[in-house]
Amino acid sequence: MHLLEVNNPVAQQRGVLNSLTASRRPESLEGKTVGLLWSGTHGGDIALNRAGEMLQERFKDVTVKFYNGNNYPAPPPLVKQAGEECDVVIGATAD
Amino acid sequence: MIHDMIELEKMGRPAVAIVSGRFEKDAVASSRAFGMPDLQWVVVPRIYRNLEPEFSIAQTEDAIDDLIEGLTQSIEERQSGIDTESTTRYEGSDRYDAILKMNKALNDEDLGDGLFLYPATAEAVEEMLKGTNLPPDHVVCDMPPGFGVATVEKIAINTVMAGAKPEHLPVVIAAVKALSKLGKEGGKSLLMSTSPQAPLLIVNGPVTKRLGVNPRSALGPGRDNTVNTLIGRAFLLCFRNIGYWYPGHMDMDTIGTTRKFIQCIGENEDMSPWDGFHVDQGFDKDESTVSVFVTDGELDVQDQGNHEAEGLLRTLAYGCTFGTRGLQSKKSGGQRLILMPPDVAGPIGSGGFTKQASREFIQEHAVGSLGRMIEYMPLKGEARVTEEWKWLENLSKKQLLEININVMDSADDVYIVVVGADRAKTAVFPSGPAPVTEGVDQYMP
Repeated sequence: MHLLEVNNPVAQQRGVLNSLTASRRPESLEGKTVGLLWSGTHGGDIALNRAGEMLQERFKDVTVKFYNGNNYPAPPPLVKQAGEECDVVIGATAD
Repeated sequence: MIHDMIELEKMGRPAVAIVSGRFEKDAVASSRAFGMPDLQWVVVPRIYRNLEPEFSIAQTEDAIDDLIEGLTQSIEERQSGIDTESTTRYEGSDRYDAILKMNKALNDEDLGDGLFLYPATAEAVEEMLKGTNLPPDHVVCDMPPGFGVATVEKIAINTVMAGAKPEHLPVVIAAVKALSKLGKEGGKSLLMSTSPQAPLLIVNGPVTKRLGVNPRSALGPGRDNTVNTLIGRAFLLCFRNIGYWYPGHMDMDTIGTTRKFIQCIGENEDMSPWDGFHVDQGFDKDESTVSVFVTDGELDVQDQGNHEAEGLLRTLAYGCTFGTRGLQSKKSGGQRLILMPPDVAGPIGSGGFTKQASREFIQEHAVGSLGRMIEYMPLKGEARVTEEWKWLENLSKKQLLEININVMDSADDVYIVVVGADRAKTAVFPSGPAPVTEGVDQYMP
């Protein structure tokens, strides 16, 4: 019988060592502004617009704002603008 | 998109991504790489890009309850279950049997490359570490695309598993470091792309001969390319187990490429009429370096009889024209790595062309039909056609095909490295972002 002991080749990810937690959620989306951040990929706009419509159907006084990032990642000023103008944001990895 | 969602979360805004099918593992890996493992998303079955609108709408409607939940309720942090610290024991009837069991287990976990792995025992790793002057806990970089912490010890473990030798370790360390400097965040987006981008390592300087890196028929298997293969393989295992470049997680290729069996080749400086590539990159001729290119395809450009510089260069310029271009900016962003054999470089050099003059000639003459280059995407309604290109929408197909345009914006986008045996067969690779060259000597014992 032979026992072979080997070292682990996998490294820890920096993002796990310095991880942040997601932000606090609102209890309801009523009266909130919902941002739709599009990467510019075909079909992602259809998904985001439909999601925005459905949130407006489900909750009162929801405002929807659409942002065309044209790429991923989106231009940082646009992401900042969406964060400043909206209460919550939806994105789509449509690729 | 995961990156953008995390940026919004950092601003205190709940953000949820709609993630298409096979990208869920990518979302898990990316959320960890960018530092927010409990980021939330919902999964839909199909990729939107080529889906009929009614299917896009239907699968979004099916996900709306989960989407609302993600925006209004927090969930537990996702655990990856990845152990990065401990050693593992494998029991076998003898040492060979134990090594076979180790191989099966590591490949089942996708921690290898499908080929035989050498056991990274404490003794083997200790011996490997003699190949560098750096201590085991020294952090070389955070390796993209997953930003794993690349300690010298982790690099050494993967180098042992590849079957490489201690004298190869400084090149592997330098290549890992170079990758982290490549483009924006180590070329992260490209490495994770659904297109088959893959790194190619090129060494220059005395290390080429000292280690026996083949600069002739340098790409491919066999005795002559043993060192090329071992160093490339060590880098690949680092890329996977430190950089998290795992298929389906942070390597989202549609088909893939054999270039992902990464190779390390040498420049044939003895048979080049010019200084080596490392000199172009600002190093001294006597310094040893490794350069990391990211390639996205490969074309054999053959010349049958030209022996004058201009004829050879024109053939090469034509060989650089295949591919597509984006319309997101005025610049094409296209780059080409040219592995030029001595039978091409020699006549070009003796014909009076410096390397820089050759780059300029190729850039000037690498001209193609814009209509052909953009045939892959519809122009109308395409969000990635910027204002400066909108005028193209009003042209006919014929008019588009008749517009000729330079494939590369500048001679700086043309990279020439002399590699190869006798014969005028050049290899042209679409490449980018700009390669990074790292000195090797600083990591030697």
